[in-house]
Amino acid sequence: MTVAEEKSQIKEEKSWEPKILAFLCNWCSYAGADLAGISRLQYPPNIRVVRVPCSGRVNPFYLIKALQAGWDGVLVSGCHPGDCHYLSGNLVARRRFAILKDIVEFMGISPGRLNFSWVSAAEGEKFSKVVKEVVEKVKKLGPIRKMVKE
Amino acid sequence: MEKLEKIMQDTAKHFLQEQKVDLIIGYKQGTIPLRTTPCFVTKPEDISQLVWNVCCDHDLTNFLLQPEYKDKKVGIIVKGCDARALVVCMAEGQIERKMVTIIGMPCPGMIDRKRIESELEPKEILVAEITEDQIHLKGKDFEQTLQKDDYIQASCKSCRYNNPPVCDVLIGGQPIELSFNDDLDEKLAELEAKSPDERWTYFTTLLSDCIRCYACRNACPLCYCKECFVDQTQPQWVGKTTNISDIMFYHMIRAFHVAGRCVECGACTRACPMNIDLRLITRKLQNIVKDRYGFEAGLDPNVPPPMGTHTMEDPQEFITEPE
Amino acid sequence: MKEKILPKEQLPQILKTLLESYKVFAPIKKNGFYVFGEIETPDEIALNYLNSKIPPKEIFYPRTEVLFTFTKSPQGIDIQEAINPSESRVIFGIRPCDAKSFTLLDKFFSYGKFKDPYYQTRRENTLLIGLACVNPRSTCFCTSINGSPFGEEGLDILFVDLGDKYFVKSLNLKGDELLDQLPGLTPASEKDRFNMTELLKKVLASMTPEIPIENINTKLEQLFDEEVFWDQFSQKCIGCASCTFLCPTCTCFDVVDEETSSSGKRIRLWDTCQFPLFTLHGSGHNPRPTKRQRLRQRVMHKFSYYPKTLDEIGCVGCGRCIIVCPVNQDIREVFKALQET
Repeated sequence: MTVAEEKSQIKEEKSWEPKILAFLCNWCSYAGADLAGISRLQYPPNIRVVRVPCSGRVNPFYLIKALQAGWDGVLVSGCHPGDCHYLSGNLVARRRFAILKDIVEFMGISPGRLNFSWVSAAEGEKFSKVVKEVVEKVKKLGPIRKMVKE
Repeated sequence: MEKLEKIMQDTAKHFLQEQKVDLIIGYKQGTIPLRTTPCFVTKPEDISQLVWNVCCDHDLTNFLLQPEYKDKKVGIIVKGCDARALVVCMAEGQIERKMVTIIGMPCPGMIDRKRIESELEPKEILVAEITEDQIHLKGKDFEQTLQKDDYIQASCKSCRYNNPPVCDVLIGGQPIELSFNDDLDEKLAELEAKSPDERWTYFTTLLSDCIRCYACRNACPLCYCKECFVDQTQPQWVGKTTNISDIMFYHMIRAFHVAGRCVECGACTRACPMNIDLRLITRKLQNIVKDRYGFEAGLDPNVPPPMGTHTMEDPQEFITEPE
Repeated sequence: MKEKILPKEQLPQILKTLLESYKVFAPIKKNGFYVFGEIETPDEIALNYLNSKIPPKEIFYPRTEVLFTFTKSPQGIDIQEAINPSESRVIFGIRPCDAKSFTLLDKFFSYGKFKDPYYQTRRENTLLIGLACVNPRSTCFCTSINGSPFGEEGLDILFVDLGDKYFVKSLNLKGDELLDQLPGLTPASEKDRFNMTELLKKVLASMTPEIPIENINTKLEQLFDEEVFWDQFSQKCIGCASCTFLCPTCTCFDVVDEETSSSGKRIRLWDTCQFPLFTLHGSGHNPRPTKRQRLRQRVMHKFSYYPKTLDEIGCVGCGRCIIVCPVNQDIREVFKALQET
């Protein structure tokens, strides 16, 4: 079942929960998410994680394709600036995301669908907070309709 | 302009004779009224083909990146926008400065033949004469005079660099000041003030005519990728159909790919067979890059492009930081 | 074959009658250019046009078209064909050159053993009512390619504008039947017929002189490997493919599958020989790697391969490729150069 189909079913049940695709960098944010799990920190179960080598590895295609496939939001998380395992991957990513977000939101996608954060391997608590905040933001926006390919 | 045309011809001829260049890329008279067509002059005696008038709207930089000119010393006729595109190509390491002789033309703004033709249809222009401020048109059963300033291309009206910022010789030696009334910035501000839903409606309506022919990409002097993302098939990220989702996907990514590089030459809008006006997107790109990184594309070949560089201090107000 | 006269003020009545039983496509003005679109009331029609910028081929052969959809279930794969028997349609106001283009598309889509059901069903249910060109563009060269501004090929009915009235001519049985249903028509007199022939003479005289194209295919064949010949044209091409996308006789398409884990569809979309991807092999080899070869393909296909396989030139002389080209590539220049070699 595609995400879109699954979602239309859930919508009928009137218990819609957003689905968020999270790209986490292997060296920091993925480990941060891991730490959140080990520490038994609660966060909403709305994210599905894709582990990537670096936030700089995330191509804008992935994000827009996710919206097109019916994901209600995306989150990209990487190491804090200065801490990148590859020295500058997240700095490259930062410029890229800033511009992509500006363009996509200018063309009418609601702010809140594309989210970016820095979470280090030691910040399990921050990770759970980021997820909570992102899920709340996307919940307020409701199910995505704009980019979804019918 | 005839005076400039003569100086341009003489200069180009001089470069060819001195063997400073192997060929000159310029404009010659087209086969239909109000048109010019690119021409490639290799012999000094052919130089009289070259013309300079307000129909020279094509961006010749496009040709420089083609493999056949890679190892040639090329002289190229450029307007402000073309020169900026050339500078971007140099900053990106695509063109070597020493291989190109830039013959700069101060640009008075090009005329919008598409609009003239469309307003006149079903009358057809057979002869056009352009003077300093008027366009005289003649057809089968009509004769008409238009004020040139009323028919300047929209992208020229909103032009900010009509004189080449970088060139080897500026024909005429005198930059031209443009003073057109232009409302692109107001239109952009108006659109930005709207809600995301209204903007989405605006863009989906605007782009719903797109037939995915990619003429915008091919006409763009900066779309030089050997393999464009729309041609990639393994995997295929962007759907090829005219489903509005695919169309928006294409235009979002194309805008992203020219961010910090686009010089607002208007080639994409001019080439669009469906008359889709992309200027609000291209102006927005200028603003994004300028506001965030204080950068304007195409002014200095020695400044690295903003998407090819970064600093620790880049603004990051968009990063989610929970309290 | 019936010949009638229709006073111009009666035209809306005719359109109204057509709209009662047909889906009607007619020239409308949109974004500053003319295009064939569906109309719902007679006043939407914009007949004051030279020719539409976008050819009407899209009505039969859409830019994107779902061929079939499939769904996976525990019982296997279920395929649903997407051939919709289309409603009865009329294209009103089509120019003779575009009508002729449909005879070429007909040949292409029913070439050999295979008939294209998607195109065919739409085509069979559509009547073509032409509007003769009394004001051809300077870029028109239909007369050079065995066409005429008053051409009847492919049409069911032809309207000729005689100033205050239309000369209406049915051209086949389908056209006869339709004419019988339309109100306000009176039989044409000998004088009307004379006026029409006089008008045709006048129009023909006003057209750009014919370009000699005899033996064009053999000449082209000899020039196949002449790089210099092709370079003079391809040099300024930017490969934008507007010429092929807006050509009424270009038919090339690409087929893509769009699928998810459980369902999907097969889609046919327009493609163009002007893009390198068109001929790119899976191995990475490209038999037409340069602009020269791609431009040559466009010319050869229409003027050499078409005559060979379908016994007809694959161009109708509408001149759209000349008008739309951003760098003013003019196919007539190729003919001229051919004459000189």
